[in-house]
Amino acid sequence: MADEEEDPTFEEENEEIGGCEEGGQGKRKRLFSKELRCMMYGFGDDQNPYTESVDILEDLVIDFITEMTHKVMSIGRQGRVQVEDIVFLIRKDPRKFARVKDLLTMNKELKRARKAFDEANYGS
Amino acid sequence: METGRQTGVSAEMFTMPCGLEASNKDGIPEDLDGNLEESMDQESKRRSRDVMDLTADDKEASASAPPASKRLKTDTKGKKERKPTVDEDEAQRMTNLLSAMSEEQLARYEVCRRSAFPKARIAHLMQSITGRSVPENVAIAMAGIAKVLVGEVVEEALDVCEMRGETPPLQPRHLREAVRRLKSKGPFPNTKYKKIMFF
Repeated sequence: MADEEEDPTFEEENEEIGGCEEGGQGKRKRLFSKELRCMMYGFGDDQNPYTESVDILEDLVIDFITEMTHKVMSIGRQGRVQVEDIVFLIRKDPRKFARVKDLLTMNKELKRARKAFDEANYGS
Repeated sequence: METGRQTGVSAEMFTMPCGLEASNKDGIPEDLDGNLEESMDQESKRRSRDVMDLTADDKEASASAPPASKRLKTDTKGKKERKPTVDEDEAQRMTNLLSAMSEEQLARYEVCRRSAFPKARIAHLMQSITGRSVPENVAIAMAGIAKVLVGEVVEEALDVCEMRGETPPLQPRHLREAVRRLKSKGPFPNTKYKKIMFF
């Protein structure tokens, strides 16, 4: 497959470039490779996406999280990351905003259900 | 490659709820129920079904219609009567849709729902940035947002790919073009330079 051939050269290039930078992406171990592959397939890509594509997305995600975290630390309570601040920063993007709201509500419901279950178990 | 593209579209439609709709994934998995192996203890069928969906999807499911604050803590068994019929409608529609999907579409949809970023790794990453520990739901929120981000980029890239008349395994140039297009629209990582608007 094409990506088998291109993979080593790509990695080499990356390492050269990333070598002198502090925290260069080329040298960092790939954090989300497996999950990203599944995700890309789920969203419409091929069943075996190219490794370079996965790498690009991983870099993008890590950049996003990093930048988001830094922004969040500078608003609201300084130096802390809190959910309300994330929600505030995301407010302009409808999809992400809706998603965060849903997730947080779901989480609350789950916790409530678990707690109720535990209490029920404890009682009986 | 048509089916591939269609598959992408249908998978997208139902996991990327538009900001305006309160989408509901409650009913889904009548069909996929058998596939979901990560089930919790089941104290009541109704409650457990919801919980099972939720944990199996790793919290990817959206909220049901009534706000959580309206429900009493222990009264989850009464949930069925309390939920508005909108939910039943949604569930029915979901079932209809799922029964209309082809094998490949179902497989893709299942992978789409199940895939997620591991909370632990995200929390670890954020900790290394902040220097202190992050609350659990922050990691949950961030993982969810990151998944939406990937979805947006992949969708846009598939668009680019199709426009150029090329086939699915996405190539880096599709992705880069997609990122370029999306940069202007939403909050996007832009760590390289500050955009100067007027000069």
